[in-house]
Amino acid sequence: MTTRTAAPPALDVRDVTVRFAGLTALDDVSFTVAPGTVHAVIGPNGAGKSTCFNVLSGLYRPAQGSVRLGDAELTRLAPHRIAALGVARTFQNIVTTQGTVADNLMLGRHVLSRAGFAASALRLPRAAREQREHLARAREIAELTGLGEHFETPVALLSYGDRKRVELARALCLEPRVLLLDEPVAGMNAGERARTAEVVRDVRAELGLSVVLVEHDMGLVMRLADEVTVLDFGRAIAHGTPDEVRRDPEVLRAYLGTGTTGEDAA
Amino acid sequence: MSDVLTSVLRRRGGSLLLAVLLCALPFYLDAFWLRIGLFSMAAAIGAVGIGLLSGTAGQLSLGHAFFLAVGAYGYVWLAGEPGPGLPPALAAVLAVLLAGAAGGLFSPVAGRVKGVYLGVATLALVFLGHHVLLTADSVTGGFNGRSVPPLELGGFSFTETDPELTVLGVPFGAEERLWYLGLALFALTWFTARGLLRGRPGRALVALRDSETAASVMGVQVARYRSAAFVVSSMYAGLAGVLLALSFRRVVPDYFSLALSVDYLAMIVIGGLGSVAGATAGAVFITALPLLMTRYADQLPLVATPGSGDGSIGPTEAARYLYGAAIVVILLYAPDGLHGLARRTRARLRRRRPVTAPSDAGPSPRTPATTTARAKEHTP
Amino acid sequence: MTGLLDNLLNGVALGSVYALIALGFVTIFKASGVLSFAHGSLLLLGGYLVAVLHDDLGFAGALALAVVVTALVAGALDRLVLQRVGTDSHAAHVQTIVTIGIDIILVTDLARRIGGDLLTLGDPWGDSVTDLGPVTVADSRIAAIVVSAVAIAGAFALFRFTPWGLSLRAAAEDAEAAALMGVRLTRVRAIAWCLAGGLAALAAVFLVAFPAPGLERTTGQIALKAFPAAILGGMASPVGALVGSMLIGLTEALVAGYQSDLHVLGEGFGDVAPYAVMVLVLLVRPTGLFAARGAARV
Repeated sequence: MTTRTAAPPALDVRDVTVRFAGLTALDDVSFTVAPGTVHAVIGPNGAGKSTCFNVLSGLYRPAQGSVRLGDAELTRLAPHRIAALGVARTFQNIVTTQGTVADNLMLGRHVLSRAGFAASALRLPRAAREQREHLARAREIAELTGLGEHFETPVALLSYGDRKRVELARALCLEPRVLLLDEPVAGMNAGERARTAEVVRDVRAELGLSVVLVEHDMGLVMRLADEVTVLDFGRAIAHGTPDEVRRDPEVLRAYLGTGTTGEDAA
Repeated sequence: MSDVLTSVLRRRGGSLLLAVLLCALPFYLDAFWLRIGLFSMAAAIGAVGIGLLSGTAGQLSLGHAFFLAVGAYGYVWLAGEPGPGLPPALAAVLAVLLAGAAGGLFSPVAGRVKGVYLGVATLALVFLGHHVLLTADSVTGGFNGRSVPPLELGGFSFTETDPELTVLGVPFGAEERLWYLGLALFALTWFTARGLLRGRPGRALVALRDSETAASVMGVQVARYRSAAFVVSSMYAGLAGVLLALSFRRVVPDYFSLALSVDYLAMIVIGGLGSVAGATAGAVFITALPLLMTRYADQLPLVATPGSGDGSIGPTEAARYLYGAAIVVILLYAPDGLHGLARRTRARLRRRRPVTAPSDAGPSPRTPATTTARAKEHTP
Repeated sequence: MTGLLDNLLNGVALGSVYALIALGFVTIFKASGVLSFAHGSLLLLGGYLVAVLHDDLGFAGALALAVVVTALVAGALDRLVLQRVGTDSHAAHVQTIVTIGIDIILVTDLARRIGGDLLTLGDPWGDSVTDLGPVTVADSRIAAIVVSAVAIAGAFALFRFTPWGLSLRAAAEDAEAAALMGVRLTRVRAIAWCLAGGLAALAAVFLVAFPAPGLERTTGQIALKAFPAAILGGMASPVGALVGSMLIGLTEALVAGYQSDLHVLGEGFGDVAPYAVMVLVLLVRPTGLFAARGAARV
């Protein structure tokens, strides 16, 4: 079974610009995610955070700019190729597929496994063995993310918070080198938030992966992030450690009215 | 642990019993019923194929009749004269591969065109295919079609005689022999399709259907998997075509019309999308209904026997009415088809059981396990 | 040269009749996401009504009544049957299959009534022709073009200028949001079906007019040709449906017109040529010629 042990290379976003029908969603955005760090991308609604993620995972092609992961230029690759390089993501609105938690997590093992149509149809021993091994690893990851008891439960029957965690676990099943989390705790209660934060911290420590985090919950960002990039109207207006960013006058101006304190409750 | 064991045994036991029953049927049923069974088995194989494409991968296809035709005509030509006259068993295998190849040739469309768009695009296959069947006389025999060379396996021929065969006092004619061939092919279909659905490809296809975006960022190659689903579905159709040809003993172009494609679509929707068992149930229902209606026309109220007065409802028409009404009514009351209906009935019965036998603690831990196993397979 | 003009004119006439049908498909698809397989039987119903009513009501009266009745039947089918099927995200798929069931019932019944007969519709243009410069055109074709143009213009006016048209577009954009804004989806849908039914009845008259022999039990199958027309246009675009229909009509007429030069393709290739064109177009543009393009929402 494949597991990635090498430390992740740096993820380097350079001068990325995305336009939709004349509207500039991302304007010359650059930042670098250092290996093994948690890098938060924050900003008011509509600042371009999700667009940024869609560029990183290959769903949008930028008008200009580059995204490099080590030697690989991601902007030229299809989403499934980027996934094969070890970039996994979650979605802001939950996107799970039908079936059980196990089915969803096994989808995360897709690029790490090999069984094709013929091998699966004929139930060749190697396909069965592969399935068994990956199922065991998926179960481990389910335990790690607190989904162990729900492993065989249909996703449709889970609570909102649990379904959100299925997405996280599915992304982890890819054994990612870079993990993109799009609002992983949105809509969760305080307990669930704390638990998810713990999971993110644990997997980072254990697996040594880089995390890019989009989140509105400033408390979570401040606790987890090593570095923060602030987007506003598609432009990166500030970079730095959480403390630096918190004191940045530009950031305060962008957030005025929505406030950093109001969402800090958790 | 023993709980799990008994539950497995109970489920396997059911299918084992069914298998024994199916093998015993030729000793008790006459040719009419065996033919219904044969057509049903062929239809079930084809339905499993389109179920994989339309039910699991969410790609609508109205071109299934075309691939059935490729399988049927492919076998007839490859095994027959004019044609290379290959050994029939080899011709049958090649015909299935040919259907797969035909599906592969369509993959530039099948891989890129989505959902209902593919449904309409595949209309082209049916109409163009029908046109070719009519015009390429030298291969297809034109409007009148061709007779089907019988299958032979190592000197054993699937015909009335050659060799004469009597088992336990029952003479084994073509229907009896083909029945076992059909059962074997259906078992193969069941085995492979379940393997596919529960394995890596099945999960990728379900993901594609539910969210192309999620599937692609999880590493599924969208176009490749769409094409592959189409090819696999075509191969099952090809296999069904071969079996149909052997059962009919003559292939004609008009059988492989759009109406046939529609029948197959109706089978999987009536049966319940995304499950092998559902596709089978739908196939049996839609195949057997008109045949039974025609046979028992004289015993049905309001239905005239064939050839009687003008304007009255004949058995064929009655079967069509009932067919149409069955589609509407089943989907009106069970949008997830017969399979969903069966699942819900089972669940209801199970819920009732603890009430009648409250002291029995056994079923309760077993219930969730069985339910989840079912849910995994059922993916509308 | 006159041969070419003849063929082009035939193509436009055919295309405009297909456009009536395709416009119905597209309207239904926009309003409900359903691919209507019941369209052929609605068309047959419209034609059948004209055939049995024209002796008593005259052609115009019979046509008017047939259009109204077919429209009402279509609307009722949607409101009373389809809208009760399924509520989840797969509802449109299931409803699509239900239209197959409805089609089977209607076609069986109409075919039983029609039997092996060829019914005439009593249309005023009969087999008369008009000389237009170098070409001679059947009056029925001119009538087809003119009436279709008027009907299509009327349909577009409905899309553009009525509250229903606005609701339809809103529902097609985002059904949930439209419902929250107070759009009554059930009514918007049912009216879309009515419009489609009426257009199909109208199309029936011209499909069986001279030089076609008359209404047969199989006439409804012609409605299938409007599928490629609708898909070429992108399935959700009325303008696309018009362009697609013209393309299909012209292809069919030209291939049939030059049959003798194209004999390698086999006799009757004109009937299937539209499907070949459709596949070619879909190869280049997998979502049709007029599909809205935009970044997928994630």
